[in-house]
Amino acid sequence: MDMYCIFKRFFKIGALLLGGGYVILPLLKAEIADKFDEIAEDDICEYYAISQCMPGIIAINTAGLVGHKLMGTKGAICAVTALILPAFTAIILLASFLTNIANLTIVQKAFAGIGIGVLALVFQAINEMREKSIVDKYSLIVFLCAFICLFGLKISPAFVIIAGIIFGIITGFYKAKAGKK
Amino acid sequence: MIYLHLFLQFFHIGVFSFGGGYATLPFLYDISEKFGWYTLDELNNMLAVASITPGPVGINMATFAGFKTAGILGSLLATSAIIIPSLIFVIIISKFLNKFCENVYVKSVISVLKPLGCGLLTAVGVHLLINEFLSGNFNIIHFILFGLMIFISLKKKLPPAFYLALGAVFGLIS
Repeated sequence: MDMYCIFKRFFKIGALLLGGGYVILPLLKAEIADKFDEIAEDDICEYYAISQCMPGIIAINTAGLVGHKLMGTKGAICAVTALILPAFTAIILLASFLTNIANLTIVQKAFAGIGIGVLALVFQAINEMREKSIVDKYSLIVFLCAFICLFGLKISPAFVIIAGIIFGIITGFYKAKAGKK
Repeated sequence: MIYLHLFLQFFHIGVFSFGGGYATLPFLYDISEKFGWYTLDELNNMLAVASITPGPVGINMATFAGFKTAGILGSLLATSAIIIPSLIFVIIISKFLNKFCENVYVKSVISVLKPLGCGLLTAVGVHLLINEFLSGNFNIIHFILFGLMIFISLKKKLPPAFYLALGAVFGLIS
């Protein structure tokens, strides 16, 4: 196994990664677990679970952890770079193309409608998140606080998240204390 | 100077965004409000492009926003800035690995961050909704289209391309 091999596999995953989220799981299984002995399917599921607890984009974290397992730090950098390269190229090409045609009436009309589609996608994502995250009155309070912080008070999301982390550590501290008793 | 700002803004997204999909959106929204590198309408268009191109939406948004702000160099900077924190965390966390997720503090923090992330995204969603429908040029066809899409999304999970294509068709005929 070498860097080129890791690069090639992750480049392919990056090109096929449409739709985001857990789409990366079957791709990693087919391209990595089935091809390399060092990584089993279970490892990939575990890395995916860990990636969800880490800061950053889940697909990137998962690729990084798999690459790290295969070839250490070098492997992680190689895997992540290869994963984003197809998307990067596609976006640059599309962005340059779109800037050229953005002033056409037909494009503006189409994008006015596409904007509605995007809005629907955002609300679909919100609905999916709500089902998984708002489970009791505490999570509802956290949800409302976060909403007010960004919507009404215009507090930067980073500060809201830092506050959330601190709050989580404090409740974790009490949970750990209660667990010991 | 713009390059340094770009790098720092996207680096902080990499450090503080948790969860997949649209978790980066509240940050990009915040950047749009504070720096004016792109408007809310442009953010909307970026999201459309990012949803139908391969690769994670968050990364695509960074590439697009960087490009919009400072060309190819900008997109390179923004994209690397958002993944560098991930790589650093990967290197640190791979030492603990399986113990990491079971840690009581990590668990507790994640259980707070999930509804929190949902709240942040809802704030962005509501703002985008207001921007679309209450900012002057209210369009009844667009409003009906939005209602229709929400109705479909509650019944069945369809790929993003479906909503965008439906939107484009409606946009062209309206």
